[in-house]
Amino acid sequence: MSRQKDEPARIALLQGTLDLLILRTLLFGPQHGQGISRVIEQQSDATLLVDHGSLYPALQRLESRGWLRAAWGTSDNNRKARFYELTKTGRKQLVAETRQWRRLSFAIGRILGPEEA
Amino acid sequence: MWRWRRRTDDDFSEEIQANIALDTDRFIAEGMRPEEARLAALRAFGSVTRAQERFYEAGRMIWLDDLRRDVRYAFRTLYKSPGFAAVVVVTLALGIGANTAVFSVINTVALRSLPVERPDELVELLFKFPGDPPLNSYWWKHYEQFRDRNQVFSDLIAVSPARLQVAGKAIQSEIVTGMYVVGTFFDVLGVRPAIGRLIGPQDDRVGSSEVSVAVISWPYWQSRFNGDPGVLGQTLMVTGVPATIIGVTPRGFFGVQLGVDPPVWLPTAMEPLIAEQSQLTAGTLSVALIGRMKPGVSLQQVQAEMRVLDRPRLADMEARFKDPRFRQVRIEASPAGAGLSVIRDRFGSALRVTMAAVAVLLLITCVNVASMLLARGAARRREMAVRVALGAGRFRLVRQVLTESLLLSTIGSLLGVLFAYFGAEALVRFIQSGRSPVGMPQPLEISSDLDLTVLMFAAVAALATGLLFGLAPALGAFVSTPASSLRHIGPAAETRKWRLFGKGLVVAQVALAVVMLGAATLFVRHLSDLRTVGVGFDAEPVLQVRLDRSQSGRTPEQLAPLYRQLWERMTSIPGVHSASLAAMTPISGAGGSLFVDVEGFVEHPDDRRRVRINGVTPGYFETLSTPLIAGRDFEPADAGGPRVAIINQAMARHYFGSGNPLGRQFTFEGQSRPLQIVGVVGDAKYNDLHETPPRTAYMNVLQGDNWNGTFLLRTDVAPTSIVAGVRRVVSDVLPDVPIARVDTLADQVDASILPERMIAMLSMVFGVLAALLVAIGLYGLLAFTVTRRTNEIGVRLALGATASDIRRMVLTDGLRLAGAGLLAGVPIAWLAKGYAASALTAMAATQANAPVTLPVAGVSPLIVASIGLLTVALVASYFPARRATNVDPMVALRCE
Repeated sequence: MSRQKDEPARIALLQGTLDLLILRTLLFGPQHGQGISRVIEQQSDATLLVDHGSLYPALQRLESRGWLRAAWGTSDNNRKARFYELTKTGRKQLVAETRQWRRLSFAIGRILGPEEA
Repeated sequence: MWRWRRRTDDDFSEEIQANIALDTDRFIAEGMRPEEARLAALRAFGSVTRAQERFYEAGRMIWLDDLRRDVRYAFRTLYKSPGFAAVVVVTLALGIGANTAVFSVINTVALRSLPVERPDELVELLFKFPGDPPLNSYWWKHYEQFRDRNQVFSDLIAVSPARLQVAGKAIQSEIVTGMYVVGTFFDVLGVRPAIGRLIGPQDDRVGSSEVSVAVISWPYWQSRFNGDPGVLGQTLMVTGVPATIIGVTPRGFFGVQLGVDPPVWLPTAMEPLIAEQSQLTAGTLSVALIGRMKPGVSLQQVQAEMRVLDRPRLADMEARFKDPRFRQVRIEASPAGAGLSVIRDRFGSALRVTMAAVAVLLLITCVNVASMLLARGAARRREMAVRVALGAGRFRLVRQVLTESLLLSTIGSLLGVLFAYFGAEALVRFIQSGRSPVGMPQPLEISSDLDLTVLMFAAVAALATGLLFGLAPALGAFVSTPASSLRHIGPAAETRKWRLFGKGLVVAQVALAVVMLGAATLFVRHLSDLRTVGVGFDAEPVLQVRLDRSQSGRTPEQLAPLYRQLWERMTSIPGVHSASLAAMTPISGAGGSLFVDVEGFVEHPDDRRRVRINGVTPGYFETLSTPLIAGRDFEPADAGGPRVAIINQAMARHYFGSGNPLGRQFTFEGQSRPLQIVGVVGDAKYNDLHETPPRTAYMNVLQGDNWNGTFLLRTDVAPTSIVAGVRRVVSDVLPDVPIARVDTLADQVDASILPERMIAMLSMVFGVLAALLVAIGLYGLLAFTVTRRTNEIGVRLALGATASDIRRMVLTDGLRLAGAGLLAGVPIAWLAKGYAASALTAMAATQANAPVTLPVAGVSPLIVASIGLLTVALVASYFPARRATNVDPMVALRCE
């Protein structure tokens, strides 16, 4: 909580959007959990904050749904890490969820109106 | 492709550690010192525990996990207090076991369907003389008319039991109850053979030149032929007639009558070959009728049509038997899916009453266990409060408490099923000891097994019980308020309503127990009335001896002098007070009756009733303690003289009113020689204890040459102690005639009132159990109260109260609870008494013509039950009261 006060620019992720972002991140190849969270933070210009407490259960959830598969491997700096990879159904899911998200954000954008308001 | 395998918690933890390690590396690379970097990484990750918890929760069904933990916890709690657990489990096992046992017998006798196709379409045809039990017994010729003329049945089948002598190549000759069936019998029931084929229409043609056939039952096949398939085609000698075995009935099939498991099935067409004088050909073979209703036909339609078709038969019967009662007979159609109704009628209401009794017992058990749990809950209230204070959800606590109760009731019901297994067997043995209805084998062949229905019943009973007695403690857990419970001062304000509730439970137990004991007292009282009131003879000191003269090879004329000699010898056996030979013995279920003409006595044809008859030797009335009211007993000197008779008061009253019957004459219808009345004896019951003593005429055996019947010996010692003497005398006089049966008349009488004995015995046992449970409940509550009030009692003693004051205080407490229970219970008991009385009437109606109405005692059973319970309460209160007086005021006050 205090963290949010210190860094007002950062936004905690909504449930569900994290899943989408994870899938999207893995589109470029296998990655471990820490890597995924760093990629999301970097690509969002450090606006999105990934809570590790949510990240790992989310990864677990996606894995158990069969959208990801995981295996232990070695990281760039020779640390043992669990790497995640998109499955075929995971890719399909990404396409579907991306489309849905676009429609949602477009709709919400229209309701909220121009930026200045 | 994708394969799902459960990840372990450890694997997940490892991943988190890997993440933290990676972050640490990154922070070091950014220039932090290693320890600092690790702390920063941990900070960045957030709560590791939370992440692990979420992983854990996501992975499984939490409630199942909780359940497992609750069960384990419950086991541990019970393990820690084994005494408490044992008492609760045994109490529950008794309650559930008694219920399951009684239910399993009811299931066998009245509920379970016959193992045949679509049993719900089967209907039996009953007819009923007013005031008599219904009968399913018709003559063959009437069956043929019904079968050919009815429009309501797709088929009507007939069965007729027969005593058959069966012998074979490998089996010894034996006498069994077999069954004649019509050719369509097995087909209509939809029964398929275990091996071979069953009797079909082609086997059932009278006079057909084909060989006779027989079907044997599965148990007979197993026991006599070791299940050998080679039995097909073998020849069975049935009462001297060879029959080819063509098939075996399937396992579990016993026909249409519970209690009879015929080993041999024959086509009715064989009856003329087997019987010396064929009743089939004469059209008078007695058959029981079962129909399969056509689709869409209702029971009412069956009944309506059969009543019309029955008219010619009734006219025929009335003409033949000159019995006007046939005019009032109506056919009733009754569902026969569970088999013919004889056994159901005989034991049904007794079993229903017993079921009601065990249900009340189970209720008492529940209340009792609830109060035990409540007392323990008081001890555990702190535990609950601590758990609530530590953040346990209330519903979570309730669930845990209920898990404990259900665990107790499950263990209890497992043990109860074990009890039930033996209990049901004992109950069936008891039922088998009774007198079988006419035409049924002795003993009845009933096997009660714990089938799926029964086990389901036990499971439901366990669940209901667990929920019921677990409710109170669960509620306690729900409302537990940590703040006041944790202040460990005894009389906290909120425990007051719990104490009140505990008292309420004891009151409820007393109330239920008084219902139970009231009913039990009523049944016991009724049984003793049935045995003693207006019976007209004393069965207690009488021994009966029956001989089997079938193999003696002598004519009745040759046997007569030997029987007379035997009778005289028996009188002189030491210990014998008097002896007599009687054609009929009382309450044997058999008897004879004839119409009587008295000169000058005119009666309306509709009022004509038969008179029961018996042939006895001198000494009969003395032997049975039936009082001689006027005139004299038979004498040896009567032999060769004019025919004499002794009549009972009922007959004297009917035919002679207030006049003197002595010296008057009467004639049996169809006979020419009149009998002269030489004596009048007191009324005695003849066929059944439920009947009013019928008009009866006795004749002197010495005047005839047919000496057949049963020897009755009244003894001055225990009747069974003279059996050796009897055997000696019989083997002296008739060495080649074996004794068929020796038993006491009291046993014979008891066998006839088995339903009443059953409920009297069981309700008494259950009533005592209920009283015992009340005692335990009351004792527990008072003991607890005394402990809680130790301080108060100390203060009272210190202020000058005497020991007897204190004792009175506790006793009053106990009696007040019992009194409240009686107040609540007596009105219910009154209602229950009405139900019990109507059940007794129903039982009597299944056995007797014009059942006698015994005065079903007024309020006395309730008074007896109330006094009994007050005594129990007094005893149960006495021990806590005595303990209360032992309180040492100094110690009690220092405790504070």
